[in-house]
Amino acid sequence: MATAIQYILDSIAYGSLFALMAMGLALLFGVMGLMNFAYGELIMAGAYTMFFTRSWGWLGMIVTTLIVVTVLSLVMELVAFRPLRGASPVTLLITSFAVSYALQEFAWTDVLGLSHRFNGATIGTGPQKGVQPYPWLTQQYQVKGVLVSKLEIITVIVTIALLVGMTLLLKRTMLGIQLRASTQDFRMAQLVGVKANWVISSAFAITGVLAGAVALLYVFRTGLVAPDMGQGPLLVAFVGGVIGGLGSLSGAALGGFVLGVIINILNASLPVKLHSYSLLFAFMAVIAIVVLQPEGLIAFRRGGDWLERLWQRIRKPATEGAGA
Amino acid sequence: MRRYAEPLARRIWPPLFLSVVLVITWALVDSFGNVVYRDTAVKMFITLIVVLGLQIFSGNSGVLSFGHVAFMAVGAYASALLTIPTEIKKFTYLTMPHFLKFWIFPAQLNALEGTLAGAGFALLLAAITAPPIVRLSGVAAGIATLAILVIVHEFDYQTSAITRGTSTQIGVPTTTTLLSTLIWSLIFIAVAFVFQQSKFGLRLRASRENERAARSVGVRVPIERAIAWTLSGFVVGVGGALYGHYFGGTFGPDDFFFNNGFNIVLLTIAMLVVGGMTSVTGAVVGCYFVTVVFELFRRWEVNGLGVTPPPGTANLVLAFMLITTLFLRPKGITGGREIPWPTEWRLPRRPSRGPSLRARFSGTQAANEAAASAETPATE
Repeated sequence: MATAIQYILDSIAYGSLFALMAMGLALLFGVMGLMNFAYGELIMAGAYTMFFTRSWGWLGMIVTTLIVVTVLSLVMELVAFRPLRGASPVTLLITSFAVSYALQEFAWTDVLGLSHRFNGATIGTGPQKGVQPYPWLTQQYQVKGVLVSKLEIITVIVTIALLVGMTLLLKRTMLGIQLRASTQDFRMAQLVGVKANWVISSAFAITGVLAGAVALLYVFRTGLVAPDMGQGPLLVAFVGGVIGGLGSLSGAALGGFVLGVIINILNASLPVKLHSYSLLFAFMAVIAIVVLQPEGLIAFRRGGDWLERLWQRIRKPATEGAGA
Repeated sequence: MRRYAEPLARRIWPPLFLSVVLVITWALVDSFGNVVYRDTAVKMFITLIVVLGLQIFSGNSGVLSFGHVAFMAVGAYASALLTIPTEIKKFTYLTMPHFLKFWIFPAQLNALEGTLAGAGFALLLAAITAPPIVRLSGVAAGIATLAILVIVHEFDYQTSAITRGTSTQIGVPTTTTLLSTLIWSLIFIAVAFVFQQSKFGLRLRASRENERAARSVGVRVPIERAIAWTLSGFVVGVGGALYGHYFGGTFGPDDFFFNNGFNIVLLTIAMLVVGGMTSVTGAVVGCYFVTVVFELFRRWEVNGLGVTPPPGTANLVLAFMLITTLFLRPKGITGGREIPWPTEWRLPRRPSRGPSLRARFSGTQAANEAAASAETPATE
């Protein structure tokens, strides 16, 4: 029983990461039809920032990482995606592949001479020793035979905080209303005065913050820093997002969360021989969903977002229409 | 006489021109090139075959595929398995399940048979995957084809009983030569042109330009797409088989995936997009252009001329080349057109951005497009 609860707690923490990632993917997909494969490289950039700032103390590290990843996300938009405004989603998809590849290749090379500047750490020679998590983070509590680490609790708390923050941002602020309007119909939103550049830049900034948070939590969990480290988590979050429905934020977040939980439970409980094919089956599910239920399994567009409905129920129907 | 001869000549002219370019390349490299140039040329011809396969499907249907490299993997693995000498297979595939063992082990095909068999298996995979893929377009198709790539990669990676997993193959005959890749390239240039001009190709291209209009005149889009998808699976499968036999079997699952260093997925898509997706000429031009630029930077990395760029610059240049093309010439260097008739050479016009205003306000389309034209000022 205790081990089961421990699995579940660990899986919740693991799934939370993918909920955040899938939400970042869904935001960009909703606003500008961009399936951003360079998202994994934002996490990679965050991991490298953590690696280089590991001696700065935890606050400095966290703040720097968040800033660097957000700025990178904005620069990505400015350099690669803004000139392609109005291009077809497929063009954007190809571009995001190219950007992802470029950033990864940049991490493999030694372009900035980073090897000399940062304590002899070469950025270009593959997997690094990584970032040592702080001892107080990995500290574990024992509650009735269940081991819980502080990091897991923090992961869940941060995820919940970010989800609540996102919900508040989307429901209560002007920017949120503009974002939601753009998600529904970008052209119409522009017609009624929503500034395209402002909305899209904000969306990229928000995904940047989300990616930064994921990078922090992910690297503290695994300690891994490598140029291609973003690929694996991205694929899982992407599958989760498609299953949940990239058209809606909550659907994608829930999809990412559920898939993360399932994968973690499978990895822990199934023999190696079976769970090595989990990615294969996940992608078969992706094909099936894309063909049969392109809106995703969780997000039912016509009935509205479940989060939205929940929110309306909390706020009483009388005051609805703030965003509509 | 002239009345019949000229249209025919006009049809044959572009593939003939491209074939001559290929043969000249082969002749130059074969007589003057050193080992490095031969290696580059062989790799270029192999990627050209893959790009041609990609063009047959994506170019004619307008549906971009990230998954064609999966057919390459199938072609390479199947061809390798069927050509490795039986004695070697007995020791290297100890755990192969019996239902495969009994026909794979005795098989010792020659190079041509192996290539055809490998391509046949690729065609089989294409035929199996066709039903879901042909129903999709746009990003959904991109996602689904990418899923096929991941599935095949994951299968190659995990099923070590059949693919030896991450280990390389042993005993694959090194039969791919410059000449064999040239001949296959020439064949597939012809195939791509014949398909493009055939009724299947015409219907498919009609659906690319306007799916609804094509459907309304009786084009069954999924079936036309399925034909192109299956044919391109075969073409890419041949490319994969040739690739497998070139390096003496030193290939693994990562050769057919997003791999840093030699990212064949991005490379082939970059070639097709840079050249111009909608024409066979575009595939060939893109392949030559990207190869030349890529190799230029790679040589520079290795040899250095005073200033040595850091390793990996060539790959960065590849990514930037792709992005710049999408910015400046979304239809590629050729603008998506074939090599023009000798008397009609002129500089390609810049592809116009969107239909003109006048065209929008005529006919039934007016109502549709009028709304779109009103939004344009609000974009900026």
